[in-house]
Amino acid sequence: MVENNQDNMIQFVDVEKYYGHFHALKNINLTIKRGETVVLIGPSGSGKSTLIRAINGLEPIQEGHLIVNGYDLHDPKTDINKIRKRVGMVFQHFNLYNNKSVIENVMLAPRIVSHIPEEENEKYALELLDRVGLKDKAGSMPSMLSGGQKQRVAIARSLAMKPSALLFDEPTSALDPEMIGDVLRIIQNIAKDSDMTSLIVTHEMNFAQNVANRVIFMADGEVLEDSKTSDFFKKPKSVRAQQFVDQVQNH
Amino acid sequence: MNIIAAGIFDAFTKNNVHYLLGGLGITVGVSIISVIGSLIFGSFIGIIIYEKIPFLSRYVSIINDVIRNLPLLLIIFFVYFVLPVIGIYLPVFWATVIAMTVFESTMLAEIIRGGLLAIPIGQTEGAGSVGMTNQQALLNIILPQAIKKMIPPIISQLISLVKDTSLAVGIVLAEMTFRGQIIYAQNSNYTIPVFIALAIMYFILNYGLSLIARWFDHRMAA
Ligand SMILES: Nc1ncnc2c1ncn2[C@@H]1O[C@H](COP(=O)(O)OP(=O)(O)OP(=O)(O)O)[C@@H](O)[C@H]1O
Ligand SMILES: [Mg+2]
Repeated sequence: MVENNQDNMIQFVDVEKYYGHFHALKNINLTIKRGETVVLIGPSGSGKSTLIRAINGLEPIQEGHLIVNGYDLHDPKTDINKIRKRVGMVFQHFNLYNNKSVIENVMLAPRIVSHIPEEENEKYALELLDRVGLKDKAGSMPSMLSGGQKQRVAIARSLAMKPSALLFDEPTSALDPEMIGDVLRIIQNIAKDSDMTSLIVTHEMNFAQNVANRVIFMADGEVLEDSKTSDFFKKPKSVRAQQFVDQVQNH
Repeated sequence: MNIIAAGIFDAFTKNNVHYLLGGLGITVGVSIISVIGSLIFGSFIGIIIYEKIPFLSRYVSIINDVIRNLPLLLIIFFVYFVLPVIGIYLPVFWATVIAMTVFESTMLAEIIRGGLLAIPIGQTEGAGSVGMTNQQALLNIILPQAIKKMIPPIISQLISLVKDTSLAVGIVLAEMTFRGQIIYAQNSNYTIPVFIALAIMYFILNYGLSLIARWFDHRMAA
């Protein structure tokens, strides 16, 4: 059994993940401490989404231990919804509930998962919408919002569950350039909070430098580098990472 | 012209009209019970297949496909003529209801499964990411969106259910079409008027259903 350290929010121990015969995550060993902000980068198809989705139980792993908030996801006895209550996820394509208004998107899970009293729930939902600058859109349907607005609602929806950790999978990749800044600023504010653990997949290198304590570089399903942000951007250890950073920054 | 006109009047004697309307009653009775039954069972089966429950979903799906691909008449014959061989005797009305319900449940299950699958996986993942269970996601997010898309195909399936009740002629259920046959067997001049009357009654029943469908569509769109 793996030692259960309370300081660790997320821990991968010898994790292997296959899609059929395709080996998508290869011997992942990785620890993210409570309150840390970690940015995950790597070329397309390297397994970033697979890794981050595994943490939220959206992709099952085949071998090893993946311990999130003290529970091993690979243990069949673990109730996955217990973990998801504490670990939110923000998707590239938002995944707002299309049949619910903005405020209902935020209020639904606290109501039916955490049984928060309605008044308190609504008050907090409005507070969160205010924080992401969308209080006036509370009654709108998602289809009426721009991409940037949708993503801000999705962030508010995750925060409504008062999570200990948030996972972001390319939160700004589907956005028009002029929307990206607002969303990154909000994410940066959240990540700054010392109680919040954040794992962010992004191609925004400036943002990564500003927000991250650590940078993890993946290629072909492997973690090739796991360094302090300043070390990584001064000079990545691996050639692949060096090439990748040059490529992204010059484009 | 005169002959046909005379035939029209003659065909609809008080007795014949009464007899034919009785058949309409049976057609409506079979239809209503089968519609309710197949909506309930069809939803259950459709959701079970959609949820990919280990083992259960696979077997239910195989059985559903087998039944769905048999002719309805064969199922009606099976319930009425084969079940008695193993000691299950059903009156012709209930034999028809059960056969129709079994068959239509499989058709509706397929529509419901398809409607659920048409909702993007991101909706389920979004709900899962904040700790909702599969059932909570289904009930609050997936079903409400899927139902809107399902209603038109469900109604057209129910319309063919009403029409297919006429297949029970094969086991001598005294529904509308059967009774029509009895009437024009008395006098071949009655054939055309009785057919027209049958067509009108089926049309009214099914047109009624499409009006309900349209009303639902409007309400859903609002
Ligand atoms: N459901 C799936 N079934 C089979 N293969 C998959 C599946 N999802 C991902 N893969 C494969 O696993 C590998 C890693 O995919 P993943 O989506 O994790 O990459 P990524 O690093 O997030 O890429 P991107 O930057 O394009 O989002 C890819 O080769 C991909 O084709
Ligand atoms: Mg990805």
